[in-house]
Amino acid sequence: MTERIIEPTSPSLKLVQKLRVKNALGMHTRPATYIVKLLQNCKSDVTFALKKEVINAKSILSILMLAAKKHSLITVTVEGKDAQEVMDKLILAFDSGFGE
Amino acid sequence: MYLVKDLYEKHKSRLGLELVAGSSGLLRKIKIPEAHRPGLSLSGYLKGHAGHRILVFGKVEIGYLKDLTNEVRIKRLHDLLCISPNPPAIIVTRRLRPPKELHALCEELGIPLFRANTSTMNLLSKLTLLLYEEFSPSINCHGTLVEVFGVGVLIQGDSSVGKSEAALGLIERGHRLITDDIVKIRKREGEYLEGYGVELTRHHMEIRGIGIINVANLYGAVCVRDTKSIDIIVKLEVWDDQDFYDRVGIDEKFCQILGMELPYHILPVKPGRDVVLLLETIALNHRLKKMGYNSAKEFNAKLLEMIGSKQKKRIMPSEISS
Repeated sequence: MTERIIEPTSPSLKLVQKLRVKNALGMHTRPATYIVKLLQNCKSDVTFALKKEVINAKSILSILMLAAKKHSLITVTVEGKDAQEVMDKLILAFDSGFGE
Repeated sequence: MYLVKDLYEKHKSRLGLELVAGSSGLLRKIKIPEAHRPGLSLSGYLKGHAGHRILVFGKVEIGYLKDLTNEVRIKRLHDLLCISPNPPAIIVTRRLRPPKELHALCEELGIPLFRANTSTMNLLSKLTLLLYEEFSPSINCHGTLVEVFGVGVLIQGDSSVGKSEAALGLIERGHRLITDDIVKIRKREGEYLEGYGVELTRHHMEIRGIGIINVANLYGAVCVRDTKSIDIIVKLEVWDDQDFYDRVGIDEKFCQILGMELPYHILPVKPGRDVVLLLETIALNHRLKKMGYNSAKEFNAKLLEMIGSKQKKRIMPSEISS
């Protein structure tokens, strides 16, 4: 279920969704690079949260720091003008196991 | 959640703790950062007794318990320990031997019982400080923390503005890296903010075009640190012609983190600007300000003095002519 929070004063959108890591080896360097590449040109702010640790998903070291293993549930928050587009791309990425 | 086990393993040498009973309760949670001597509760007055706190038994408490009859002693200890919520742990100070009833009750209820070799006041103050530190709020921040001329500089900015490259430049000039990309910040002693990195990615940097490098291995132990107090925050921004950047530096801007205010500078970045040199200058200027000399304010004061003296000279000739 996606939570939609629309700020009345600005055109940006905030989307929150929980996505599961499907890769056998978890979120290691290759999937992390895939995500960072995906988010490179997006204008929105994206954060991942796992067990109280909240990190900036545009930074590869931050994603690796989470050390997320297979089946981890990550809370993805996207906030910005292109939030919907970015969230859709991320859902696809998680579902496809980041191209692995 | 903070467990008794975490307190014991991390601080047993500092507090001089020895586990004597109730080891089954080491996984008990410490919910509030408080410890206290039982006092009135031992005498039977349990109204208003706040549970959740670590109990500390000193010379007076042990002496009082010894003076009681066996039945009364058992009842008082039973009432005190069984009151809900249970204390997470009990510490007996001055290496005193805990009464056998206390020992047995702790084993039965699974409440860890420790002996400490310090005096009660000493233990209470150290323990309270430790607990407050463990419970102090901490946040994650995206940025790079470096130590430049002894000043803790938190470099912030959007991705690809050049934070990591600036940090690399600073390291090459002899400054120290604490952490790149993720800075964990916690409040220490309620007075200052300390930044540190996560163990896994500590001292690693990610440079586009190179990859992940371990700075400690490349440059050596002298170029890294594990923790540093945060003294100033510098935000790197892509130079915007429309924006007005601080040209004088008299009005200091501040940024709030965890309720503490820190000096904040915005540094515009554009090709040809030596960001590393500018960061060094900001740090040095901050150092100088801390020593009591504010370059911008001193300059302004001299300027006002000069303007003031010019105005006096203009008035005097007109007075002479009239």
